[in-house]
Amino acid sequence: MNIWKISIKNFKYKPLYSFLGILMLSVSIALLMGIQQLDKSFRQQLENNLGDIDMVVGAKGSPLQLVLASVLHIDNPTGNILFEEAKSILKNPMIGKGVPISYGDNYKGYRIVGTTQDFPELYNAQLKEGRFVQQSMEVALGSTVAETLGLQIGDSFQSSHGLAEKGGHDHDEPLTVVGIYKPTHKVMDRLIVTGLETVWDVHQHEEDHGTDNEHEEDGEHDEETDHVGHDETESHHEGEGEHHHEEESQQEITSMLVSFRNPMALLTVPRTINENTNMQAALPKFELERLYQFTGIGVKTITWIAYAILIISAITIFISLYRMVRDRAFDLALMRSYGANTFQLIKMVAYEGFVIAGIAFVFGVLISQIGVFFIFEMITDQYKQTMPLQLGFQELSQTAGLVVLMVLLSIALAIYPIVTMNISKILSHEK
Amino acid sequence: MISTKGLTFKYDNQDAVFKFPDIELGESENLLILGKSGIGKTTLLHLLAGLLRPMDGSIEIDDVPIHGLSNKQLDRFRGQNIGLIFQNNHAVQSLKVVENLKARLFFAKKSVSPPRIADLLEHLDIADCTNKKVRELSEGQLQRLGIAMSIVHQPQVILADEPTSSLDDDNCNKVMQLLMEQADANDANLIVITHDQRIKPLFTKKLEL
Repeated sequence: MNIWKISIKNFKYKPLYSFLGILMLSVSIALLMGIQQLDKSFRQQLENNLGDIDMVVGAKGSPLQLVLASVLHIDNPTGNILFEEAKSILKNPMIGKGVPISYGDNYKGYRIVGTTQDFPELYNAQLKEGRFVQQSMEVALGSTVAETLGLQIGDSFQSSHGLAEKGGHDHDEPLTVVGIYKPTHKVMDRLIVTGLETVWDVHQHEEDHGTDNEHEEDGEHDEETDHVGHDETESHHEGEGEHHHEEESQQEITSMLVSFRNPMALLTVPRTINENTNMQAALPKFELERLYQFTGIGVKTITWIAYAILIISAITIFISLYRMVRDRAFDLALMRSYGANTFQLIKMVAYEGFVIAGIAFVFGVLISQIGVFFIFEMITDQYKQTMPLQLGFQELSQTAGLVVLMVLLSIALAIYPIVTMNISKILSHEK
Repeated sequence: MISTKGLTFKYDNQDAVFKFPDIELGESENLLILGKSGIGKTTLLHLLAGLLRPMDGSIEIDDVPIHGLSNKQLDRFRGQNIGLIFQNNHAVQSLKVVENLKARLFFAKKSVSPPRIADLLEHLDIADCTNKKVRELSEGQLQRLGIAMSIVHQPQVILADEPTSSLDDDNCNKVMQLLMEQADANDANLIVITHDQRIKPLFTKKLEL
């Protein structure tokens, strides 16, 4: 027999109160941990996805949309820009590298991005097998794409028009897998990389092939993803007329990913582009900060709710302990008459509080992990985003510290009657 | 062995000062303290148990002047040398019978000997209650558990506060017999305070407050 055992017996003696304390505390811990983890993983994943991209240049529109579409590949693009015009900005000496990308098709929900050899370098992506894309209609797969779809070198598939998995029509020309990249844990993993020519060719061909069809549909088709795709073909069409081979000067891309040579460029280059050209320049880091301001409200709200529940749970634990101390004052006085000193009784109450806190912490972390896991599963499913499921030691210890503080406070308040206990008075009023 | 001299006590919020007659008990001597309600019987008992501190005077148990001990020493002395019996509440509610006895020994810092506990419960005829919860016990069983709690740690002094007032004649006799028997077996002093006239004949030494 020792103090711990007695504490645990006390804890079991009033299971309802103990359960209530644990329930409330674990819910608040789960909320705190879960929201922190989601927020952190979300930010980390987005920032990680930026790679070496300092600026993105695309058609005029919402800069946030441009970043979401062309950098994070989770939104539809704002429109197209002329390749020639986009290239002209690269003349600025402060700009290091400009990677053109063009997209509008998918295969089973994974985006097909037409670009140059420089694109994988933005993400430090290296080939696992095969080779780089060299000709039109060749593709190299990001690791997630290859893994989920089970595609091998030499396999070929037909891409679908549009960016969503369903809703577009299939293109006739098969694309052939020539390379598979190693995992980068960045957005690159879930992209199908091909040459710019592939995208141009596919849509040019499409143009020749089904001109009549496309045109008839155009009027009433509201499917947005499809529409975006259309935009591309549409503008090709307008620009090119019936020419089979486009002239270099009229070729279009969706956007240009730019990395700076000099950080000073951040201050001047975007403004110059926005003011002097038909294109817009967006800074991914800046736009993401703006995005966090929106998501931050949700995070803050949930965090405050979690704090409120934490305080209520601390009060519940306090009441549970205080009731024990008050309602069972005679038992405590009996223990004093058995030779227990004040400190032992305090320990008894404190241990009970710690048992509640400990169990609640384990459950809370468990609930939050299960919750976060399912949310991530959902995100992976819907957005083809994989987020690293990580439990930060810092968050864990922060929450633990907060919980310990609250529990200590409830204990400190609850033990007051023990400190001032008049054993004789309690024992002589036993009836 | 107990001796008190010039014992007085005053409650903080009251003016009345209790003055108690001196007590001298030799080895294994028992004492019955009689008196009306409110005269200070329980106060005297609590003074002897070290639960209250006297205003003046001395209390010596086995040559230890307990009025001079620090709080912690007093807690310890009480745990090891005093056994208390109450009228109604006998054990800690959240613990089972055997756990109560173990806790009693734990607080007294004495080693737990399961056979001794089993023997004691057997002797008091509550062996079948060993693993029962305290609230599952009958009144008579509770009273016997109270006795077990007061002697399991082999104290020098057993102090009983109205141990029989809620019992019928039959149980009253049984309880007193057990108490005196156990006190004897442990070479302990038994001090009973009561207004119960039924147990008067059992004691040779009496003190009327």
